[in-house]
Amino acid sequence: EPPAGSADAPAGAPGGYAVADADQAATLLADRIVTTADNRLLAEGAVEIYWKQNRLTAHRVTYDQNTETLTIEGPIRLVEPGQTGSVIVADQAELSRDLQNGVMVGARMVMARELQLAANRIDRKDGRITTLTEVVASSCRICASDPTPLWEIRARKITHDNETKQLHFEGAQFRVMGVPLVWLPNLRMPDPTVTRMSGLLRPSFRTTSSLGAGLKLPYFIALGPSADLTVTPYLSSSYTRTLGLRYRQAFDNGTINAEGALSSDSIRKGENRGYLFADGTFKLPSDYTLGLQLKVVSDPSYLLNYGITEDDRLWSGVTLEKVHRNEMIWLRAGNTHSIRSGESNSTEPMLSGDFSWTRVIRPAVIGGEATIDWSVHAHRRASDMTVDGIEDSDTVSDGRDTLRTSFVAGWRRQWLLSGGVLAAMQTELAGDAVMVRQDENWADHTLRALPTVGVELRWPWVATSGRASQVIEPIAQLVWSPDNLKQVANEDSLLTEFDEGNLFSFSRYPGGDAREEGLRANLGLSWTRHDASGWSLGVTAGRVVRLTDTDQFPTGSGLSGRRSDWLIAAHLTTAEGLTLSNRALFDNDFGFSRDELRLAFAGDKYQIAAGYLWMDASETEGRLTDTSELLLETGWTWAEGWRSTLSTRYDFTAERAARATVGLEYANECMSVDLSLSRRFTSSSTVKPETDFGLSVQLAGFGATSTGRKTTGGSATRVCRY
Amino acid sequence: QQIALGGIRADAKAPVEVTADSLAVNQADGSATFTGNVLVVQGGMRLKAAVVDVEYDPKDRSKITRMHATGGVTLVSPAEAAEAKEAVYDVAASNVVMTGDVLLTQGQNVMSGQKLTVDLKTGTGQMDGRVRTILQPEAKK
Amino acid sequence: CGFTPAYGPQGGGTRLLGAVQTDSPATRDDFALTRRLSERLGPLETAHYRLAYTVTTEALGQAITPSNATTRYSLAGKVDYTLHDIGTDAVLLTGKVASFTSWSATGTVVATDAAEEDAHRRLMSMLADQIVTRLLAQAGSLPQ
Repeated sequence: EPPAGSADAPAGAPGGYAVADADQAATLLADRIVTTADNRLLAEGAVEIYWKQNRLTAHRVTYDQNTETLTIEGPIRLVEPGQTGSVIVADQAELSRDLQNGVMVGARMVMARELQLAANRIDRKDGRITTLTEVVASSCRICASDPTPLWEIRARKITHDNETKQLHFEGAQFRVMGVPLVWLPNLRMPDPTVTRMSGLLRPSFRTTSSLGAGLKLPYFIALGPSADLTVTPYLSSSYTRTLGLRYRQAFDNGTINAEGALSSDSIRKGENRGYLFADGTFKLPSDYTLGLQLKVVSDPSYLLNYGITEDDRLWSGVTLEKVHRNEMIWLRAGNTHSIRSGESNSTEPMLSGDFSWTRVIRPAVIGGEATIDWSVHAHRRASDMTVDGIEDSDTVSDGRDTLRTSFVAGWRRQWLLSGGVLAAMQTELAGDAVMVRQDENWADHTLRALPTVGVELRWPWVATSGRASQVIEPIAQLVWSPDNLKQVANEDSLLTEFDEGNLFSFSRYPGGDAREEGLRANLGLSWTRHDASGWSLGVTAGRVVRLTDTDQFPTGSGLSGRRSDWLIAAHLTTAEGLTLSNRALFDNDFGFSRDELRLAFAGDKYQIAAGYLWMDASETEGRLTDTSELLLETGWTWAEGWRSTLSTRYDFTAERAARATVGLEYANECMSVDLSLSRRFTSSSTVKPETDFGLSVQLAGFGATSTGRKTTGGSATRVCRY
Repeated sequence: QQIALGGIRADAKAPVEVTADSLAVNQADGSATFTGNVLVVQGGMRLKAAVVDVEYDPKDRSKITRMHATGGVTLVSPAEAAEAKEAVYDVAASNVVMTGDVLLTQGQNVMSGQKLTVDLKTGTGQMDGRVRTILQPEAKK
Repeated sequence: CGFTPAYGPQGGGTRLLGAVQTDSPATRDDFALTRRLSERLGPLETAHYRLAYTVTTEALGQAITPSNATTRYSLAGKVDYTLHDIGTDAVLLTGKVASFTSWSATGTVVATDAAEEDAHRRLMSMLADQIVTRLLAQAGSLPQ
């Protein structure tokens, strides 16, 4: 049939042709094209064919215009666009004009730059279905010098559909180091571009002293784009039958996710055990954020037996929060269920609610800034006794319930005095109304108010010389409030801290049940040196001196007596990634009441995180013995892709470790193995010491693993060494 | 018969007719130079150019042996058109060699390159020098 | 030895007083940070600079008793900040400050929750003070 149209040269300058449907046209480039009488083109020499960013290069191509087929002689290289496109290398091929249909012989295909498939024949259908026959699939490096990959899957046929993004293996055989391990007649795997698809996730082995050797097989079910369910059966030898579930859903204005498990095991025979943790956050109109949380567990030792969490107080409740520049509203109400041994859920305040509304205003006449804070706190003990019973070790009425509302108005203004002294004047009026029920020692109602006024003087000096700058800042603050404040039952201000954060605050009590009284001077001196090369050192020293010993703070808190302990805090950071912080509270003859040391170094080969904690015993704080604990976490990348981790928590007072974990990770471009052995030594009436051994293996190339092979410590993409 | 892309056919025996604005004859070697809208017609083939130098057979002045067209050449046959900077038509060997930004079109099919050699007897054409062509989808049959 | 009062004539600290507008807070930690910054740098008069900040905190259980009770938590905090020119929004100073604080969990749940809230406020106050100190050290290099 004669070709349509003739003779008139198309419009447009040579080289740029106005062609009807440009996106269907394929472009062919070559050093030489010979056109033959029977309507065939013979292109030779660096032949390139482009079609919609698909690019094929070959040595020689014959194009038959009638059948619109390209007969291509290799070496052929076809590259699909984008990071997820495949690269196919072949010896010979016969493809349609748009490269989307046809056969390639002696071909190797690399999918998403990750999964290599070598087949003696690849058939392509509409650019969508790719069928590979007699194929070997692996994402491991394959070199001429070392042809057997770490793992490979040989199959009679693999069909890849790039719309469903699935690889269907037929007659598959899984080999490690060339040794066949598993025969699978039929196998479906996600292709490397998949981020979300139903299917089996990474299996892991978990062996513990209490449950024996076990296997976890997580199965992921995608329920549409914004919800998914993960079902994880966990079976172990002596013995547990556990079904783990996790449901997640995203809404326009928030997310919910719930995880839980049902178990029957040898630890509590004949009992149905399990847990449910659910939480949700939602954005509400006018900037409110709603938080919901539920945490329930069947018995106190379950969470430790199954390695879910170390939490020993499970809070369920609701939070509501709105934060603006000059206003903050916060509500938190719920119930805590304690699984800590020796802690009673009836004689201790577990049901509690807090509300606070803070407003910042700029008063006209007096200037400066004023803050108004209205807060409500309420809590209830399940027990209804009005005196202290024998069930718990405290001396508080077992059934005491409390409601407190406080109104605190504060004002602060700064003046710059001559010589660079910055003076600040601060006043505060705090009013409390407290109601107490079921406690004979305390009045039902108490009303009280406490005015406080303070003056603060800061005189910072700076020196900058070349790369380094230094700041020395002496600070003195004199604070007065009357010392005859009516006392109320102290529930929320028992655990006091003393650090640079509250050295200059009006009250060092965390809550509103107690407020600091009397005349006291807060004195501090800070020196900081900051070097442009990235290392900086900061030291702060401080002390509180009172006119009279108002005996408000317990011994061991560092704030007791007429003169508080010395507070010395130092922070060092270096450019190489070392951060070292230490905070100490000690008296005149260096008796340390508290010392906390933290060290963190994140190098390429070595990572260390260490912490030492020393605390004097303090009866009022419920700490009957000294606390002396070392926490050490180290990571060491000792060879290409090999990384071992060691972490321990040692209790010097009890002279033994609370926990020790050893881990080994190997990761390369096609596989990652995680091995961990950990031992928890703690034991109580409900929990026995336990050893936990975990192993998990992941093959790269199936499903886009978010961490990919870049596990911590970096994976080693091995390179062929000829 | 299907005329392939680049396969311009012409009957080498057909008479050649040349028209131009002006003509200069060189008595010494017997060649002639046509300038200004030169049109050369031979059977179904027409060649337009700015300047064409024509060489005649020394034994028989009426027979043209070779034509050299320059200054932008267009060669048109019933099925195709080709443009280039220069073209040499060797009548005896019946082939045409066009050089310099050659653009060959046939209906929607287009090919561009640096040098096009067309064998008028067999109708085959060879394009050289980083050739570029568009493979058009045929109108669905 | 090269020291001069920060708020003195050669100090440059006066350029900051009442002139730094902090980005509006999104979380309660942000609120505590901006409150302390406003206390230290004075409420805003005429804004010359904008302070952008990113707060990250991480709690870590400590003092595990032999009966596996976590009786203390430490809260590590970090703020990455940039000081911009309010007009051109060009970045004048950048920096990172880090510190930690802790709270005990030996008392009742009510006492522990209050201690945790207070720990967050104290940590933000420390980080704000460190930012102000760092700004004072480099205030001399700020354009007039």
